[in-house]
Amino acid sequence: MEFKLEAHRIVSISLGKIYNSRVQRGGIKLHKNLLVSLVLRSARQVYLSDPCPGLYLAGPPGAPLQLPAEPAAGPSAGWGEPPPPPAAGLETEPQPAHPAAPGALRAGDAEPATTVACARDTLQSGEAAAAAGGAGDQAGGSDAFPEGPRETRRDCRCPPGVEGQPGAPGAAPHGDCCAEDEPPAPPPIGPRKRPAAGAGGCGPAGRPAPGSTPVKKPRRDSEERPGRAEEGEEEMETGNVANLISIFGSSFSGLLRKSPRGGGEEAEGEERGPEAAEPGQICCDTAVLRDMSPWSTAIEAF
Amino acid sequence: MPSHRVPSEADVISTVEFNHTGELLATGDKGGRVVIFQREPESKNAPHSQGEYDVYSTFQSHEPEFDYLKSLEIEEKINKIKWLPQQNAAHSLLSTNDKTIKLWKITERDKRPEGYNLKDEEGKLKDLSTVTSLQVPVLKPMDLMVEVSPRRVFANGHTYHINSISVNSDCETYMSADDLRINLWHLAITDRSFNIVDIKPANMEDLTEVITASEFHPHHCNLFVYSSSKGSLRLCDMRAAALCDKHSKLFEEPEDPSNRSFFSEIISSVSDVKFSHSGRYMLTRDYLTVKVWDLNMEARPIETYQVHDYLRSKLCSLYENDCIFDKFECAWNGSDSVIMTGAYNNFFRMFDRNTKRDVTLEASRESSKPRAVLKPRRVCVGGKRRRDDISVDSLDFTRKILHTAWHPAENIIAVAAANNLYIFQDKVNSETH
Repeated sequence: MEFKLEAHRIVSISLGKIYNSRVQRGGIKLHKNLLVSLVLRSARQVYLSDPCPGLYLAGPPGAPLQLPAEPAAGPSAGWGEPPPPPAAGLETEPQPAHPAAPGALRAGDAEPATTVACARDTLQSGEAAAAAGGAGDQAGGSDAFPEGPRETRRDCRCPPGVEGQPGAPGAAPHGDCCAEDEPPAPPPIGPRKRPAAGAGGCGPAGRPAPGSTPVKKPRRDSEERPGRAEEGEEEMETGNVANLISIFGSSFSGLLRKSPRGGGEEAEGEERGPEAAEPGQICCDTAVLRDMSPWSTAIEAF
Repeated sequence: MPSHRVPSEADVISTVEFNHTGELLATGDKGGRVVIFQREPESKNAPHSQGEYDVYSTFQSHEPEFDYLKSLEIEEKINKIKWLPQQNAAHSLLSTNDKTIKLWKITERDKRPEGYNLKDEEGKLKDLSTVTSLQVPVLKPMDLMVEVSPRRVFANGHTYHINSISVNSDCETYMSADDLRINLWHLAITDRSFNIVDIKPANMEDLTEVITASEFHPHHCNLFVYSSSKGSLRLCDMRAAALCDKHSKLFEEPEDPSNRSFFSEIISSVSDVKFSHSGRYMLTRDYLTVKVWDLNMEARPIETYQVHDYLRSKLCSLYENDCIFDKFECAWNGSDSVIMTGAYNNFFRMFDRNTKRDVTLEASRESSKPRAVLKPRRVCVGGKRRRDDISVDSLDFTRKILHTAWHPAENIIAVAAANNLYIFQDKVNSETH
């Protein structure tokens, strides 16, 4: 339980750091944001896998409990999981009320969409950070337990015997090693593409994004369906976090081109802040969802 | 460093570097200025000032810039200074901020010509009718003037933030490294550079590590090393391929699973790497340790020294206050027998590799009165506490020694603490020769 609290606290702190990095003089520090994203990922893994009843994970029956066990399903689909086809992955999100649309991630629940947008805006600046975190997760293979991916990744550090070979992976991330060593593990590129295609709309050069204006779409969603926040509560408890985490793993390659959109995104993020607060507060009224409030509080800060 | 202004953030020293003889010591600060100190020659007339460093020259190296394309401000902070080997009467150094490297030439002028025929003392043209005889101008001594001029500007080579520069032993080329790429430059050519390392993934989402430091081998002009945020070192041979993405050697220590925490990745990130003077070893600094690696053994370091292991239980707080991201440097002494690195509370640590003894010293105004002897400090972590010990909880994490340098030959060290530069000399040794 205390691990969960500490993990939650660390996630909040990390989000704050990524947000603050946007306004730092000299531009985004890639190294620091990468490290923060790694911490964020570790904390999230602990948070989601700590089998503690009574917290938000005890939401829609079955779905969240699948998190640790079923990499291919569940709301954490966007984080270090085998890559189902891009649209299918999103469609498996527990959002029965929302038929999958192109870029289903973005078209998710109103509240997650707004929070997603909020987080995305702030996290746009933490581009490689979160991306790296996600990638690191991929390298670790299946997301069974918090220690699992880490151990896998560490084990896959090229043993000394491999290092000296000229054909060694060299500067490639260890994810490549891991992927080769574990046939069942997902290839390094996969889940990240799904949210990337949706979020940010600014994937690496040359990759077509299904929605070229993802930033605008959530705003539309939130405006259209503010009242749906209450209805979507059930989905939101898991979907919110899942979407938020998916954003961490999504592409932030817009970092380097952020300038023309940077100002706009910040404004949108700030505007969306109060909107996100409302659904969050609505959630808080329900005892079961009370534990969501820290999340909403953290997101409100953006 | 003497300053007549109220010290501000811009005065914080961001890099310290001795030149190859140790006669000059350069510091860069966050405001983009470079201050060079020169060691006074030892003289019998003034024994008290023998071997002390005085300000030699001050100049503005970098100014804040704005990248209009990306709407990013480029900080003027000097990240690194590296001296070029001296080839004539002038001294040259490279200084870099996040984006641009500059080559500066430092020359002395201590004579000036007098007795021109056509000009008078102020330089105005003389009335020719007053010139009745011709004279040969002569050079007369004048007060020493140190002139600094920018000779080269190496710009637009880096998309990410430059973290290191290193001059090759061939004295013709140097490399600059940012988070994802390393470029090779020729000192005389500014409009192009060769990319020799590129770890940027095709998909930035797959990014897992960045380059944190790099250095050329001191003797082999084809070898260089770069460190990563994952704690690994890669030795590369430029003869093997044009693009050195495949390392010749990978130095990496398996992680100790018992030390696993949320912050394991952060504390394993290497903040500095330095070849030994012999070229046989490398010294790395990560958040809690310094490690000595043998170039012939990739599996693990040959020596590991704990700098401040008592912080291991405080990593969460240090993460909150950003201290965990501090990048400490490390240094070898001239004979590669002692290594030094900074810590918090303005402490710095020295480890003797032969005797395995270590010492903690403090850089403070009290300790740096002339001819004062530095008193070893101790951090107590519970248990017996001696009188002058400092407890872990009373350490001042806002006072930190990130930048240190060791004279190439003598036991003289330069230690930067915020906007102050401390220079300590081991007088005992210097008196014996």
